[in-house]
This record gives sequence, structure tokens and C-alpha cells, in this order.
Amino acid sequence: MIEFDHVTRKFGRKVAVSGLDLKIPSGELFAFLGPNGAGKTTSIRMLVGLLRPTEGAIRVCGHDTVADSRAAAHVLGYVPDEAFLYDKLSGREFLQFVAEMRGLDDKQSAAAVDRQIDNFGLAAFVDELCETYSHGMSQRLVFASALLHDPAVLVVDEPMVGLDPRSVRMAKDLLRERASTGTTVFMSTHTLSVAEEIADRIGIIDRGRLIFLGTQDQLQKELALQNTSLEQLFLQLTAEGDETPRGSGPPVANHGVTRS
Amino acid sequence: MSQDATYASTFDLGLAPPAVAAPGGGLVSPEAEARAYWRMRWRIASAATTQTLTEGRLRVALIAVLSAVLWTILFLVFYDGFRFLRNTIPGDLHDETVRIVFGVFFVTMTLMLTFSSGIILYSSLFRARDVAFLLTLPGRAERVFLHKFQEAIVLSSWAFVLLGSPMLLAYGLVARAPAYYYLVLVPFLVAFTYLPGAIGAVACLLIVRHLPSRRVLLLGSLVAGVLAVMAAVGWSIGGSFHQDLLTPNWFQEILDRLKFTEHRMLPSWWLSSGLLEAAQGVWSESVLFLALMVSNALFFRQVGIWTASAAYRAAYDGVYGRRTSRKRTHVALLDRVVGGATRLLPAQMRLLIVKDLRLFRRDPVQWSQFLIFFGLLLLYFLNIRRFSYDTYYKGWVNMVSFLNVSVVGLLLSTFTTRFIFPMISLESRRFWILGLLPLPRERILWSKFAFAVGGSIVPCSLLILLSDAMLRVTPSILASHQLTCVILCFGLSGIAVGLGAKMPSLREDSPSKIAAGFGGTLNLVFSTLYIIAVVLLTAMPIHFYFGTQSYGGLLSERPHLGEWLQVWLVAGTLGSILLGLIATIVPLRMGFRAFRKIEF
Repeated sequence: MIEFDHVTRKFGRKVAVSGLDLKIPSGELFAFLGPNGAGKTTSIRMLVGLLRPTEGAIRVCGHDTVADSRAAAHVLGYVPDEAFLYDKLSGREFLQFVAEMRGLDDKQSAAAVDRQIDNFGLAAFVDELCETYSHGMSQRLVFASALLHDPAVLVVDEPMVGLDPRSVRMAKDLLRERASTGTTVFMSTHTLSVAEEIADRIGIIDRGRLIFLGTQDQLQKELALQNTSLEQLFLQLTAEGDETPRGSGPPVANHGVTRS
Repeated sequence: MSQDATYASTFDLGLAPPAVAAPGGGLVSPEAEARAYWRMRWRIASAATTQTLTEGRLRVALIAVLSAVLWTILFLVFYDGFRFLRNTIPGDLHDETVRIVFGVFFVTMTLMLTFSSGIILYSSLFRARDVAFLLTLPGRAERVFLHKFQEAIVLSSWAFVLLGSPMLLAYGLVARAPAYYYLVLVPFLVAFTYLPGAIGAVACLLIVRHLPSRRVLLLGSLVAGVLAVMAAVGWSIGGSFHQDLLTPNWFQEILDRLKFTEHRMLPSWWLSSGLLEAAQGVWSESVLFLALMVSNALFFRQVGIWTASAAYRAAYDGVYGRRTSRKRTHVALLDRVVGGATRLLPAQMRLLIVKDLRLFRRDPVQWSQFLIFFGLLLLYFLNIRRFSYDTYYKGWVNMVSFLNVSVVGLLLSTFTTRFIFPMISLESRRFWILGLLPLPRERILWSKFAFAVGGSIVPCSLLILLSDAMLRVTPSILASHQLTCVILCFGLSGIAVGLGAKMPSLREDSPSKIAAGFGGTLNLVFSTLYIIAVVLLTAMPIHFYFGTQSYGGLLSERPHLGEWLQVWLVAGTLGSILLGLIATIVPLRMGFRAFRKIEF
């Protein structure tokens, strides 16, 4: 469903993402981890079509995100880390706009909007202007808008930031539920425990390179073998002090786990 | 359903299984896309209008009244001007004069609209927050472009409509134009705004697409180039005349120098010709020009769409694909100079002033506008040197010199409204730092006031000095102007800082939106009234004093007139000082009181 085919992205001379090869099949919840500035957001912005790879290609359900950007966007739902909402639209009007842009006709649009209002508990405030929403309310509306068209691929950037415990639980349940019904979920997060709890597979990116890729089983074996936690493994893998310039040179580590 | 209940229901998500193979509907058609955008725009506009009408009636009323007053004044000025031309200039020369008046106005508007739409589009196509959202939807990139282009046209052309509509209506009435003239005004103006707007849009897209890393330099060079051309044109038009001032030959020479505005390839010429033909009832010729304009407008709009289709996404990628250089900062000479000049102030205040100066000079959006305005004024002052006391009637020169002081004051009021007034509101975002520091809140306001006065007094004083040097005014007038300048700087700074603290916009983080809000508008209105009052208090007695000196007979008929005028001169000067003190102290006191109570 998602395919990064030797993707490199440069910003001037800086290599933000280097030779990323990654395939994420249908129904998998993939957690993308990495320290700040590692290349997570650049990868996501390329995946949703905002940035273009300098080399390589990204395909979503077989659609190239550059050559066939509209078709790729059509099968994708995106929840950004800093969501945008039109202040002077109500939540319902925002959902209706997204539904129309997703090609739903009036009947489909009304049904989809009602379904998501119900699913995300938006009824109490959906007819108020978005400018009055709290962060949690906005985040729920953005999730609802991303799922209006039942996308085949859901891309979520830092979904837990700023949410209260109840909303975090809801988001985790939602992502798992989507994956179990066949949606490919690509989630970027800093919260290691969330990744460990809900992801089918985890990838760690550092300085533009994928340095760890493994399923939960492989990860648990690796952690048991090294008698360590995911946090310690993450810190070990992304430790500072490496003299290799960012985004160039050989892979930093190969921990015997499946590599892309 | 209560919020908790609805919340709880989300645990059982009950989501419909996603249609993996064919999610949602098909790709949205261009027509449906256009409908969705228009509906969204309409909804936003209605919500904003309803909100403004319920929450900001005073603001709307004030803006409406001020706009109506300005429009009426412009209409009367144009009406009188066109009547004057009709009554004093004979036949063919009258038509040629009107054609050139229209030509100069529309050429200027073409340049302004091209630049303003290009600049607005750069910000709305590449920097606006909603664009990243819109580009991730499966719509066409050119639809996003069109959406932003139409917004830019409206934003960049309101000044043109405000200035152009009274002029064209006044001309129609003076020329006794048929009803047809008024009917075609709207399509002519709409088509005209599209042309430079589309050219600016295409230029913006191509520059960002092909020169993303050098776009600021290129845009800066373009602006500098246009300013240089304008200066050269201004120089050649205002250059030494072969004829005596205000004679028919001098007038003809001016018209000859402005002939370039009648170039057949300029849209401004199509517009002025079409409207003049319509006013004279030659509707067939007028329709021809209208068709020419509409077809060109549609053509350039289509070029914009093609360019956006081919270049917008790549240009967007280029803007965000650049590596942001990590700038190393150092203590600039200017910081040291300001630090030294404010040595006598309390240390905390000094630090706050230097901090504000650093924020200002490191933000090109802030200082570039300031620089362009002052640069244009500098060019104008350099061009007035021939209009001096040695050559012309002193009353005229005196009037021009005071008008120059007013222009500097008005420019300063836009500076205080745009940059000083929003400073308090912007501090609210950083108030977790300033609010926790062991310093009295008043000191923050005093530092803003000192920053505003210090930052305005030097450039304004130098500009007025230059204007006076070019006009070769007497030392006493020069001293009077400098005093007026100081009074203006203190008063305008006091109004901006005081009102900024009294009426902050704590939720807004864009300085331009804060300045355009109700508080900012009120600040501009009070500032304008203050400038008019101060300048009139000092300019009027001096003007009459010169008048009586030029007509010596008047003084011999009324021997006490000279003494009265001297008293008026002193009283006017003292009055302006008093007004300056009031304008400084009263708003600051109000601001201090409000700032002490404010909860961030």
C-alpha cells in the first residue's frame, strides 16, 4: 500500500532522507520513530505530496505521489502534527468541504459527515465555529476529516501531542481499529510506549537513514536478547557523537533485525 | 447527548470497514471543485460578516463613515478638478489633458496592482497555513491558485476602487456622459484589475519556481529597479522646463513629457480610451476597447492557470526544499550605538529597547516597508529643489514645506500603527518571560515609548531637514518645522503605545492583522487628526504672515495686523506644544492603567 523506493531528499547540500526503502502492506500499523530532525516529517511531507523526493519514488496504492499526485491524495487520509482548520467555518462545514473535495456526492457526504460526528463525539460542538475549539476538539475534528472517505492509507503525524489521557486512549483504539479493518496506518511519534503498544512494525530513522526496522515480535526478541527496553534501544541507536555527516556514509547500525 | 456521553461512545468506534480498493467517490470534477471552494468562501465570509456586525458595530460604523468621508472628499476634488479643466482648457487640448490624467493614473495603478498582487500571492500561495492542507486534498493545484488569485485581486484592488470610482464618476458627471458610460464602468474596472493581477501572479510563480533560493534578492532587485525607473521618469518630467512656469507653453511641455502613458500596448491606454469613448457616447469604439480588455484579461488569467498547473506544486516544493541557513548572530554596531545612547535609562529598559530593535531589524518584512516608504519620500524631496524661495512666491513654498511636514507625519503614523501599536499585543505571547521578571510593568511600556520616539525622531527630523534645505526655507521656518517634528514624534508614539496597551489583541499573532483591527484603525484615525491639528496650529499663522508681507498695502491699512499675527504665531506654537503634551500623556496614562490590570 505504501512504498518508499530508494527515496532521498536533499535540502541544499543537507541530506534529510537518504535512500529510504520501505514497504508497508495493507492492514499494517507502522510506527515511525526518530529523534528531532531525523527526517520523519520530511518523509511524511513527501508521502502526502507536499514535498518531492530528490531521488527515488513514493507510491501510495500504486499511485506515484509526484506523477499521479491527485490519485495518491485521493486514497490517503492525513492528520498533520499542527492541524489547520478554518477559524470561521463550523466543524460541520469543514467536514462538508473536505467531503466535497474528496468527490463524495451530497448523499454520500451527508452520511459520511454524520457517521464521523457520531464516531468522534463531535455533536456537542460541531456547529460552532472552529476558532472556539480546544486542542483536543480540533484534533478529533481533524481525525474525522481524514477518515471521511474511508481512506486506504492513513498518515498520522504525532497524534498524541497535547491530548488528554482519554483522547490518547481513543486515538490508540482508533488507529488499531483502522489497521484491523485493512487500512494501512503510517504513524510518526515520539511516544515510544505508544509505538510499542499498538504498532505492528517499528522503524527508527536517524540522520536521514532508516537504522532499525522490525515487527513487534522481532523487537521483543531483540529487547530480550539485549536485556534492554525500547527506550534504551532507541537512545543507543540514536546516540550522539557519531562523526558521520548527516545523511551520508554507511548505515549507523545493523542490529540483526529486518532491515529495509 | 452530553459531551461525556458522546466521548464515551467513541470507545466503541463502530467504524465502517474502509473501502480499500475504491475509497469515497471518484476524483472531484473541476466544476464540483469550484463549487466546493465558492461554498467554503461564502460560508467564511458570512460567518465573518455576522460576527463583525454583532461584535464590532462601532468598528464597522467608523470604517464606513471614514471611507464615505474620504470617498466624498475625493469625489469633490475630482469633480472640481474636471470642471476646472473643462472651463479653462479649450477643446482639443482639454480632451488630451483628460486622456493624460487618466493615463498617468492608470499607469500608476497598473504598476501598483502588478506588484501588490505578486507580493500578496507569494505570501498566500507559499506561506499561508491553509495551503499545506489544501494541497493534501485530491484537488487540482490550479484550483488552489485560482482561489488565492481571486483573493489577491480583491485585496490589491480595493485602493484602486476607492481612488478610481470617485474620479470616474466625477468625470462622467462633468462630461455629461450617457447612462451607458456608468454601465460599462464595472466590467472595464474588473477586466483592468485582472490584467496586472494575472501578470503579477505569473511572475510570482515563475520567480519562486525557477529561482527559489534567490527570490528575495530578485524581488528586491525588481522593486529597486522599478523605483529607479520611477525616479528617472519623475526626474525627467520634473526636470528643468524650457518655458516659464504656469504658462500655456509650460503646460503643453508637461503634456508632451507625459505622452508615454498613451502607448498603444498599455492596458491603461485601452481603459482610458474605452471610458473616454463611452463618455462621449461613441459606444461602438468603447465596446471594442472593452472586448479587447476582457479578452486580454481572460487570456492572462488562463496563462496564470497554465503556469500554476505546471509550476505551483514544484514551486511549493522549492520554497520548502531550501535549507534554512542557521544564522549566527552577533552584537551589531547599531545595538552598541543604541545601548550607548540609552545609557542613562534604567538597565532593564535599555535591554528591552535593544531587544525590540533586534527583533525589528532581523525581520525584513518589518523594515523593508519602512525603508520603501522613506525611500520614496527621499526621492520626492530630492526632486523639489527647483521649487525654492528664491524663485517662487513665498506663500506657495511655505505651504509646500508644511505639506511635506504633514506627509512625513502621516508616514510616521502608518509606522506607529503598523509597528508600534501591535507591540504590546505581540508581547502577550511572550509574557511568560516579561511577566515573571522582577520589573514594574510600566517599564515595559516606557521602553516601547522610548523605542518609538527614538526610532522615529531621527529619520523624520532628517527628512524634514532635507525638504527644508531643498526649498531653502528661512532658519526660523526650519526651527518651527523641527519643533513640529518633535511634537509629532512624541504625540504619535504616545498614542500608539497608550492605545496598544489599552486595546490589545491578545489572541492575534500577526502584526498586520492587529494593525488592521479596530484598535489599529482607531490609532490611525486619532493619529491623522492629531497631525492635522498640530500642522494647522503652526502652519496657518506663518502662512498668513507671509501673505501680509507679500501684500504690503494690507499692513499699512491695518497696522495692528502684524502684531496680531505674531501673537497668533506664538499662541499656535504654544498650542501645538500643549496638544503634543496631551497626546503623549493622556493615552500613556490610560495605557499604564490598563496594562497594570491586564491578564495575559
